[in-house]
Amino acid sequence: MLPKTTPREELLTNLRAAYARMWVRLKGSNREATGLVAEIGLPIFTIGAYVILYRAIGFPPTAGAAVIIGGAMIAFWTNVLWNMSSQWFWERESGNLEMYLVAPVSRMSILLGMAMGGGLNTGIRALGIVLLGIFVFQVPFQLNAPLLVVAMFALTLVALYAMGMLFASLFMLYGREAWNTASLLQEPVYFLSGAYFPGFFGPIVPFAIQAAGSLIPMTIGLDAIRRLAIGGGDITSVWLHIIALIACILILFPIARRALSYMESLGKKEGRLTLRWQ
Amino acid sequence: MAVADFVKSARESFRVGWKIESNWTDPVLFATYQVIRPLASLLIVAFIVIIGASVGAASNPTFDYNQYLAWLIVGNAFYAFVLQIMLGMAILVHVDRTRYEVLKNIYISPGTLHPYVVGRGLVSVVNGTVSVILTLLFSVAIFNGLLHMNIPLNFLGVNLLMLIPAVILGVISLLAIGYMLCAVNIVSNRMEFILGDSVSGIFFLLGGVIFPIALLPSYIQSIANVLPITYLLNTVRESFGLLRGNYMSDLAYLALTTLVTLIIGIAVFRLAEQRAKKLGLFDRKSEY
Repeated sequence: MLPKTTPREELLTNLRAAYARMWVRLKGSNREATGLVAEIGLPIFTIGAYVILYRAIGFPPTAGAAVIIGGAMIAFWTNVLWNMSSQWFWERESGNLEMYLVAPVSRMSILLGMAMGGGLNTGIRALGIVLLGIFVFQVPFQLNAPLLVVAMFALTLVALYAMGMLFASLFMLYGREAWNTASLLQEPVYFLSGAYFPGFFGPIVPFAIQAAGSLIPMTIGLDAIRRLAIGGGDITSVWLHIIALIACILILFPIARRALSYMESLGKKEGRLTLRWQ
Repeated sequence: MAVADFVKSARESFRVGWKIESNWTDPVLFATYQVIRPLASLLIVAFIVIIGASVGAASNPTFDYNQYLAWLIVGNAFYAFVLQIMLGMAILVHVDRTRYEVLKNIYISPGTLHPYVVGRGLVSVVNGTVSVILTLLFSVAIFNGLLHMNIPLNFLGVNLLMLIPAVILGVISLLAIGYMLCAVNIVSNRMEFILGDSVSGIFFLLGGVIFPIALLPSYIQSIANVLPITYLLNTVRESFGLLRGNYMSDLAYLALTTLVTLIIGIAVFRLAEQRAKKLGLFDRKSEY
């Protein structure tokens, strides 16, 4: 029989597991420099297409700045979809999932490690995309509260990765659906979140689209960051966003935890946790 | 005989690829998945243009937004070929090497790697065709049906004799580029998730998908002018009657750029194949 652990020891074990999972992700993603350069440089092409389109139809240069921020946030959404949501699927395919399930740690600590590693990796890339975008397209920013921007950004990431944890749980038993569903959630979310739509479009975009978009934390965070970084806003212009993002986090984390337990027990009952090549 | 063997292997590869990509769900859901991505992409740019028209942001008041939207819808719909082929072929090596662990078996079977890649690429072509047709139909339903915008798109007036050769040549050029992406992924194991989207992004910017390439800086226009996607979209728009250009000249350029792309694609793939064999990369696994 295993010796009983104290809550402190349990916490430390879980934090070590999260750190270990994060380390693997950081090391794995950054050991090939060409990948890093490509991940920063290549998204600029899509962003550039929208910046040129805005210029062509006569929108102000701030629209281009909004697109660059949107493009950087898309990097996080892509990471959440492919490296969080679909991750249990990949882990099952590669045989790691069964090891996680028998390890004496919480599954949430593994997801936390993935989120921290993915967030840091993507943060480096997103920063590169923004800096390169500013350099290439010479778009204006009006930054009066940089610390608030950083705080909003961090809050958005926590909410976004909480959503990723929930998706990861739901995708756990998927076969090829995981792949197709992650792919399906790309462009529609770019559209709904307004990644390429600056905030001043608000009154013109149909309410139903805005309402659907508001269910995605990226939409809320993106709007707040744009208000601060492009509109020169302060806390009074984003306090509602802060409340909404905190609410997202408080709702999504417990749901993710419950969903994970449910899907794990369902997978055990149906014998699908080690099923490969579905 | 060699050609017959190639065709036979490609046909079997197509059959396997089609099952892998489509039999995880029912046909209606599969078709829905195929159309949502290009349609959402189209809605993004269409809304930008509609908003541009609504707020009167255009500097030119005589600008015909409906004509531009028709131009944009056709370009965006046919861009689905780019998305499907680039995304499908960019991930192919990773999936077969890491997930199904069959790349090494395919490689050691006599003369099957090339027809295998071609056959799997053709699955993306079929998916692309479904996406193009559904995107065009949905676009008309949304913009003319729901939003009553009267966009000048008449599918019955499309000149198929102009459209079909352009699409065939364009698809061959995209398959050749997909071949290069497979080659990159054979020798790399970090770019499979970004390569398809990024190369599609390059074509999105340079191929005249959402704005005419004349709006690009002149030094970038020269790059756009050697891309087959530029001529594919020009010829397609000409067959829809949305662009007054020289169709035969565009088709000739499309044929020429396709031929060059094909030669480069095969050469790059062979180089990658040799390097992978030398370094033992055909059974490399990577998970992180």
